[in-house]
Amino acid sequence: MFWSLLLPDSVNQGGWRWRYRECHDDSVASPVKSPLEHQLKALLPRGRVLTSPAQLAGYGADGLGYKNHLPDAVVIPSDAQELAGFMRGAKALGVPVVMRGAGTSLSGGPVAVQGGVIVHTSALKKIQEINTEGFWCEVECGVTLNVLDATLKPYGVFYPPDPSSGPVCTLGGNVASNAGGAHCFRYGVTSNYVLGVEAVLLDGSVHRFGGPAGGRGPWREDWKRFMIGSEGTLAAFTRFWLRLLPLPEKVWTFRATYPDLKTTEAAIHALVAHSSYPAAIEMLDPRGVAMVESSQMACGLPEGSFMLLVEIDGPEALVNARVQSVAELLRHAGSNDVMFSDEDELRQKLWKARKAAGGLLGQLSPAYVVQDAVIPKRALAEVLQLVYDEADDANIRAVNVFHAGDGNLHPNFLFDSRVPGELEKVELISKRLMQRVIEVGGTLSGEHGIGDDKSAYMPLVFGPDSMRLQLSVPAAFNPAHQMNPLKVFDNRHFIA
Amino acid sequence: MSTEAPPTNYFSNCTHCGFCLAVCPTYKLTGDENNSPRGRLRLWSEEAAGRLPQDEWTDFYTAECVGCLACETACPATVPYGEIFERIRHEHVASNRFSPKLQLRLAAAAVAHPTLFNLALLPARLLRRAGLGLHRFLFPGSPSVLKSTAAYADELMQRHRPTGPRVAFLTGCLMEAMFREINFATVRVLIENNVQVIIPEGQGCCGAFQEHTGLDGVEALREQNRRAFGTLDVDAIVSNSSGCGYALGKALQPGKQVRDVLGFLGELSPVRRQRGRDDGTRVYVDLPCHLVHGQKAAGIPANVLDATGYRWELAPKAKDCCGSGGVYNIQKPENASAILADKSAFLNEAEGAPVILGTSNHVCMMQWHSAGATGLVSRPYEVRHIIQLLDPGENFSIPSNSPQP
Repeated sequence: MFWSLLLPDSVNQGGWRWRYRECHDDSVASPVKSPLEHQLKALLPRGRVLTSPAQLAGYGADGLGYKNHLPDAVVIPSDAQELAGFMRGAKALGVPVVMRGAGTSLSGGPVAVQGGVIVHTSALKKIQEINTEGFWCEVECGVTLNVLDATLKPYGVFYPPDPSSGPVCTLGGNVASNAGGAHCFRYGVTSNYVLGVEAVLLDGSVHRFGGPAGGRGPWREDWKRFMIGSEGTLAAFTRFWLRLLPLPEKVWTFRATYPDLKTTEAAIHALVAHSSYPAAIEMLDPRGVAMVESSQMACGLPEGSFMLLVEIDGPEALVNARVQSVAELLRHAGSNDVMFSDEDELRQKLWKARKAAGGLLGQLSPAYVVQDAVIPKRALAEVLQLVYDEADDANIRAVNVFHAGDGNLHPNFLFDSRVPGELEKVELISKRLMQRVIEVGGTLSGEHGIGDDKSAYMPLVFGPDSMRLQLSVPAAFNPAHQMNPLKVFDNRHFIA
Repeated sequence: MSTEAPPTNYFSNCTHCGFCLAVCPTYKLTGDENNSPRGRLRLWSEEAAGRLPQDEWTDFYTAECVGCLACETACPATVPYGEIFERIRHEHVASNRFSPKLQLRLAAAAVAHPTLFNLALLPARLLRRAGLGLHRFLFPGSPSVLKSTAAYADELMQRHRPTGPRVAFLTGCLMEAMFREINFATVRVLIENNVQVIIPEGQGCCGAFQEHTGLDGVEALREQNRRAFGTLDVDAIVSNSSGCGYALGKALQPGKQVRDVLGFLGELSPVRRQRGRDDGTRVYVDLPCHLVHGQKAAGIPANVLDATGYRWELAPKAKDCCGSGGVYNIQKPENASAILADKSAFLNEAEGAPVILGTSNHVCMMQWHSAGATGLVSRPYEVRHIIQLLDPGENFSIPSNSPQP
């Protein structure tokens, strides 16, 4: 090869302009093709097929980086048509098919736990229509939330669900896991905004569940709800029709700190009942506060305090009229440290501790598990105490950052997966936590999905009859459970 | 390039959250997760742990990285991606897993000898002066052919005798050898703003060239610059190229900070240029990656941009990479051109007559110029360094109300 370096290519190609030979993908492709690779290349003539070990390594995990399951192949269809073509031939491949958007899931959803082919939808990123009259848009499944937000903004409309992975996650993943976010206390989760889903089944047939007119078509039944939250177990999504709302005229952000959980809870209960109807009620516990304050993101929160972050929005006159009463409510509940603003820069500062928390976990620890339980608000103190006690006993660091308004807890357990026994300790704590959550009337997941991470806890919530009934749904769509096996139900094996 | 062994938790604070995907130019281009920061980190760490054998694809994805460092800004876990990437690239070059192109090897050898490099590029300066661009990267300009920036700065210091803050100025290698007119303009703008300009003798290439190519020699250049800049009694060390400034900063830290000259001027409220009332010029400001993601500056200060006297706005996607990546547009021209195509498309419709694309790094300027030369942008536009838009020209004097030390 060295000889090729001796002469600039311009000598061969003529002209003074430098030209350079490109290292094309083909020049490093493995010469031996497996039968699977051969079949996949035939199914995706324009898209990309990845089969080399170093090409699979990047697809071994989702946002739970410590769990690694290598697929046998990854395909990147170049458009929806090619994805449908792949699905037509997928049954004959005889291996599991796992859909993947940006791979930010926190439940092990878009990971090939039973091997097989990962279908990466990164090329399906067209926003096909924005209809400001009907307040809906049509997007492909690989469109990321940040791009959708930025595209909608000039039209004065927005798509409310706002998971923390918004800068990168895709609509496909959002619909598959019925994503939520900080503002879903008032606005609701993804299912409230999906009007229709276009999906391809394993036989290649393309189906529409709803459409721009939502459920108000020939079918009265809310057919599309089968698809939302199905975690890739039913079909491959290609596009969606999403409901939009007018951008709120005015937003006020409040931050208050409380000396103890009792006063914090008083504030949460008062906020939930208040006529201002907050869009978001977020909470950071004292361990989260300590983490922020000992980092470069410190923003002066009192030691040992609970932090509440509240947002109200709507028509300017209406929202402005409610500002003082919300501030008064926060003080009355026991805070002498209430700050609020309607200026973007200051609002960002108030959000800082809440937004920084997620990333700081990564700075503190090589791995973490984040749970997603939803509990009745009255059980908050009890469940939090359980998290603290269990974590302290096991010598595991725990930080709570969560959506307090709707009781959606996110206890984060920080650990090092390279230390023998640490992961097992965290899994044991998670199991005890889940048991208690169910006992107090809560449930497993608010917004992250069950995936691979929480499938073992399903029997805690559902009896055998219920599990059988639920399993019959994916069986109707793909009888051999070829789509995303071992997810949601830990006995959902694909049998070729 | 530091030579001590990497710490054991070298890769491990990447929690695989994926926030880097959305800002990575090669992921956006290919949609392949291996071609993203978290993908590359996974490949490197798996290989380091012995779970993944050396693979041509690991080499391929490593070579694909532009090194724009947008992922560092996006990373909530503050993974030092740039540092890791540089180390891996150096290892790959050292073990022949990756070979920089011949042109780059030659240039890397040449920049280590500034006198030779200046002499070698003398014909290129002559050609640019004569208005003969001849290459897609050579934006128009009129560099001095023989007089060096150091000699010029001495001359102007004698003539104007500024009394304000003292700065040491990194003249750079390609900037001095090819685009010297930008250095001259920088000296004029600084002195007009009553800044005393010192060009330290014995300064060398910042080392960015070696960092970008993965070739040996970074540490020798850093040591040379530590000797030239490390003990100076000055108020600031400034650079007019964000990439060079970032690289020099790595050599001098801890202890000395390197400032981007525009950021430094922002603190002085620079002299404002007057333009005609009917001047229809519109400046679109692009922010170099190594300014915002490398040096972690917020941008180019608004008062500096206002001082150009022109109507300006940030270019769309101003914090995204233009594809230059130091030498990426030579190493991977097709990728670089695809990245630029997306960035530069707005120029075809941009308002203003004339339209100026303003930035603060000469390698970005080369890349932006190539958008016109290769037909990505079909309407006329100029590429200028922001410092050139503040240039008072040869006949200036220091205003009497300049801030005093």
